[in-house]
Amino acid sequence: MTIILRTPKAWPSILLARAGAQDATDLDAAVKAGAFIGLRKALHDLGPNAVIATIAASGLRGRGGAGFPTAEKWRAAAATDAPRRYVVANGYGADPAVLTDRTLLETDPYAVIEGLAIAALAIDAGEAFIALRSDAGEAIRRLEAAIGAAEEAGFIGPDVLGSGRSLTVSVRPVQGAYMLGEETVLLKALEGKRGQPEQRPPHPSERGLFGMPTVVQNVQTLAAVPWILVNGAEAFAAIGSKASPGTILVAVRGPAGAGIAEVPLGTPLGDIVALAGGARTGRGAKPADGDGGGSHALKAVLVGGPSGGLLPPDLLDTPYEFDALRAVGAHVGSGSIVAADERACIVDLARLLTRFCADEACGKTIPCRIGTRRISEIGDRIAIGVPRPTDLQLLTDLSADVVASALCDHERLATLPYASGMRYFRSELDDHILRSSCPAGVCRPIAVAAGAAH
Amino acid sequence: MTFIPGLGIVKGMGLTLRRFFEPKATIKYPEVKPDIPHKFRGRLQLLYDEYGALKCETCFQCAQACPIECIDMGGIDTKGRFHVHWGAPETYGERREESALRRSGRTVPDPAYAHFEGIDPDPVDGILEEYDYDPKRMLQILEATQAAYGHLPVAALKRISHATGAWYAMIYGTASYYNHLRFERPEDNRQAAELAERRPTERTFLTGLDAALAGGPRDGAQKTLGAKPN
Repeated sequence: MTIILRTPKAWPSILLARAGAQDATDLDAAVKAGAFIGLRKALHDLGPNAVIATIAASGLRGRGGAGFPTAEKWRAAAATDAPRRYVVANGYGADPAVLTDRTLLETDPYAVIEGLAIAALAIDAGEAFIALRSDAGEAIRRLEAAIGAAEEAGFIGPDVLGSGRSLTVSVRPVQGAYMLGEETVLLKALEGKRGQPEQRPPHPSERGLFGMPTVVQNVQTLAAVPWILVNGAEAFAAIGSKASPGTILVAVRGPAGAGIAEVPLGTPLGDIVALAGGARTGRGAKPADGDGGGSHALKAVLVGGPSGGLLPPDLLDTPYEFDALRAVGAHVGSGSIVAADERACIVDLARLLTRFCADEACGKTIPCRIGTRRISEIGDRIAIGVPRPTDLQLLTDLSADVVASALCDHERLATLPYASGMRYFRSELDDHILRSSCPAGVCRPIAVAAGAAH
Repeated sequence: MTFIPGLGIVKGMGLTLRRFFEPKATIKYPEVKPDIPHKFRGRLQLLYDEYGALKCETCFQCAQACPIECIDMGGIDTKGRFHVHWGAPETYGERREESALRRSGRTVPDPAYAHFEGIDPDPVDGILEEYDYDPKRMLQILEATQAAYGHLPVAALKRISHATGAWYAMIYGTASYYNHLRFERPEDNRQAAELAERRPTERTFLTGLDAALAGGPRDGAQKTLGAKPN
C-alpha cells in the first residue's frame, strides 16, 4: 500500500478528502460524507450547459499531464453532432513508479464515478468506461464493488436519480504497453486495436471511441468535478495558481522515503520535495562519511516521470503547475517528483530515462521509433567515454527534429531528460565528454578515448 | 448522341495537331546529354538468356560499383558449387536470405502456408461465444485465449479471425503490440511468471532508477533485469 504523505494544514484537500474512510466501497458512509450531492445538483438544479459553464468558471484543467482545459473538451464533445457519446476515465497511470491514480481509485472510487456521471450528463453520454491497469487488482475490485453499489442505489444505471437518463459505467482493465496512458492510444485499446496514437485534430472530443465524440479525462480531473459543483467555481479557482487552479496528486520520492501527496497547483517545487524529507540545497554541503541517504546534498529534481526534466536546485522555487514547468523544461506528466542527490549522475539518469522512453515507443512514427533510439545511443557513448566531437550538437539538433516532427507528446517529451540535462548540467556533461570523468563516480568513461587519443 | 459524319476524324486530327505544336521530348542523344542525377544508374534488371536462365553470374561488380550500396544479392557460383552473397550481413538479413533462395532457383518457404499446430477448439469457441464474436472486444478475447492455452496458438488466432471477421494480420498486429500477449509457449514457469507479474522493461526502469539514485557504479540498465523488486 502506498504511503500518503502528511501535508501542511493550510493546503486544501479535495481529492483525498475522504481518504480516511474505513471501507472505501461503503456507499452509505460515502453518501454521508458528501458523495453524489454534486450529481444531484447537476441533474436537478443546473443542467448540462450550466455544468459546463461552472467547470469553465472554475478553470479546471486536465490532470493527465497536458493540462488541457476540461470545459473546452466537454463543450466540443457536446457541440459535435453524433448518435452516441462516451466518457472515458483514464486511470491507467503509465509511469511504473507512480501510483497516484490507482491510490485515488482505491481510496475514493465514488468521487470518480460521480465525476464520470456528471461529465456524461454534461455531454449527454450514455456509456462510460474507467480504464486502469490490470495489475491494480485492489483498485479494480473496489471500483467494481462501488459501481455495483451505486447502480443498486440508482446513482448510475438505467435511471439516474429518477431522471430517466441511463448511464452504464464499466471497468476496463488494460495492460501491456506504457503508451496506454496517452488518450488516443487508450481509446484504441478500448476498441480492441493495437495501441498507437492518432493524429490530432480531430481531437477525441470530436471523433474518439468508435468514431464518436469522447471525453477522456484523468481520474483526478473527474474526482475534482463534484467538489466544484458542491463548493462553487469561485472556491475552486481560489485554490492553487491563477492559470491552473485546484489540487493535484503527486508521487514524491526523496531522501526520507516516497509517498503520495495532494498539493495545490502552483506550490513551489521545493515545498513538495520537502514533504519527502526535504533537500539540503546548499551547494557546498559535504556528505557525511558512511551516512544514510539524508545527508547528501540535492543535485537535481526529476519532474514528470520517465520523460521528465531534470531541474537544478536553483529552480526549486518554480511553481508546480503546467505552464511554469513547461517553461523551465520539465512537465507535470505523471505527477512524479524525484529528488536525486549527489550520488546520482545526470548522464546516467538521463540515459536510463531516455532508454525507457525509446523501449516503450509504440513504433508508429519514425522520429520517435528511430530518433529516441539514436538519442539514447548518443547518451550511451557519452557515458562509456567514446563520444564523437559532434555528439552534443547532434543531440541538440536531433531533439529539435524529434520535437518538430512528433505525432504525440511521448516523443516530444522523451527528449526532455537530455535537453534539460544540457541546459542545466552542462558542466557535468562536459566532464564526461572532455575530461572522461564522472563527478558522481557512476559512469566509467574510458580515459584513453578523450582528447589524448584523438 | 447523334451521328455526325467526320466528327471522329476531326477529333483525331485535333489530337495530332495539338501534339504537333507541343514541345518535343526527343533529344539528339550523343550530341545532347539528358540532364540526369549523377548517381542515377538506370533501372536495375536481371536479364535472361535464350534458354530462360539468368545471365547474372553473381560477379558482384554491380554491387561493388553501386554508389549508394542498394544492391545486395546472393546466388550460386558459376560452377554451381556453393552459395555466395553480397551485402552487409546485419542489414536485410531475412530478405536477403529469401531473395538469395529465390535467385538460386530453390523454393522459398512461405510462412503463411507453414504447418501450424492443431488445438482443441472448444475453449476458444467458448470464449468467442462469451464475447459475442465482437471484434471490438478483441483484447479481452485474446487475453482469455491466452489464459486458456497458455499462449496464443496460430490455430486459435485463425479461428478468432474467422469467427469475428477481423483480419488475421490485424489480430496478429494487435497481439504482437501488447507485451503481455505471447505467441510462444512459455519455456519455463519462471519466465511465464515474470512476464505475468510485471513487464520486464518496467522492472528494468524501476530497479534502474533505484540504482541511478543510489549512485553506485553499474554496467547498464540491462544488468538489473533479473533483480527482484523490493
